[in-house]
Amino acid sequence: MTTTPPSEHDIHAYVDGHLDGPRRGEVERYLSRHPERAEEVHAWRQDAQQLRTLLAGDLGVTPSQEAAMDPAAIRLRRHKRRVSRAALAASLFLCLALGGAGGWAARGMGTGSIAPMADAMQAYQLLAVDHGVGMDITTGNEGDLRAWLSGRVGATVHLPDLADAGFRPMGGRLFATDQGPAAMVLYDDGNGHTVSFYVRPPGAARHLLPRGEREDNGLLANYWSDGWHNYAVVALADAAGRAAAQRVVVRSI
Amino acid sequence: MSDPRIDEALRTMLPRLRRFALWLVRDPSAADDLVQSTVERALSHWASRREDESLRAWLFAILYRLFLDGKRRATRYARLLGSLRGEEPTWPSAERVAIANSTLAAFAGLPVEQRSLLLWITVEGMSYQEIADILEIPIGTVMSRLSRARRALRLLGDGGVETPPLRLLK
Repeated sequence: MTTTPPSEHDIHAYVDGHLDGPRRGEVERYLSRHPERAEEVHAWRQDAQQLRTLLAGDLGVTPSQEAAMDPAAIRLRRHKRRVSRAALAASLFLCLALGGAGGWAARGMGTGSIAPMADAMQAYQLLAVDHGVGMDITTGNEGDLRAWLSGRVGATVHLPDLADAGFRPMGGRLFATDQGPAAMVLYDDGNGHTVSFYVRPPGAARHLLPRGEREDNGLLANYWSDGWHNYAVVALADAAGRAAAQRVVVRSI
Repeated sequence: MSDPRIDEALRTMLPRLRRFALWLVRDPSAADDLVQSTVERALSHWASRREDESLRAWLFAILYRLFLDGKRRATRYARLLGSLRGEEPTWPSAERVAIANSTLAAFAGLPVEQRSLLLWITVEGMSYQEIADILEIPIGTVMSRLSRARRALRLLGDGGVETPPLRLLK
């Protein structure tokens, strides 16, 4: 008869009741000849039996626990979460799209695109109504004004030649704007009507104005851009002002 | 398998999963959360399940891994907070009192893996191969770890030794 001890696997299988037939007999014979080993193995069996009995009571689940753990309920929650996640993603996308569209629509806002060259009209109101009181430079010489403009606003500023059209320059004044230094040159059309020629850099955003005109508060503004600066010609919005402004614009663009 | 049949198959496993979770986390509501997470994961990973794999072993494996992941996170967190205590938390004293039976008290005092091993094998009656699959270890290793677990349970149950010898046995 062999004295080889049974494998660890067979010992456990014996403890757990998985062992049948001749191998079970072998384990039993081995244990009968090794009482100290037998004692341990039988204790293991006892422990296992005890654990089974003791833990059987832990299988109880209350209905509310069962409801919370129920696969169908969890499936439903998962589905809802997926839907709400999709909804969240969709609304995020919508926010981005709206924000983007809004941002696109609002581009250039604050650079005067809502009321183009409003600063030119304010400048006119400030000085032309008082017929040139408070100028930075007072001269009737267009050459002097050109030099003054190119030094302060930019060398590419194009001041129209208006002397032969009967306009007499009165002087100029500088203004500080968000886009940089702007200048206004005032002309007298020879009949007591004042027309302003206003130039402003496009700013860092290079916001160049399309050709246009608008009236506001009794004033008429014609504006355009030459690719480097934004220009405006402002006059009173009456018949004489319109005619004078028209003559300036024709010679300026 | 259609959804209602999957649900039904999972439903029959819930009490066993919860019992296992209860003995892992030692807290009823945490156990419920663990089972819920397990069912969620089972539902989302159902397609990846091998047909020949026993559903019970697959679910126990999911639950066990979720528990270990959570424990690792908690350990990291505790270490971050600088309040890391012993590796194996002990039962709250009230529960220690409640565990009148010495075998049960010993079982509660075992390290997580030994506790899981004994529950799967002696209580659930799972095969050694299933355990090897869950723990991703060779079947021979399952055997030697089972021997250690059984001796540890004996030692704790008999001598009333608190916990230190287990560290040496591990």
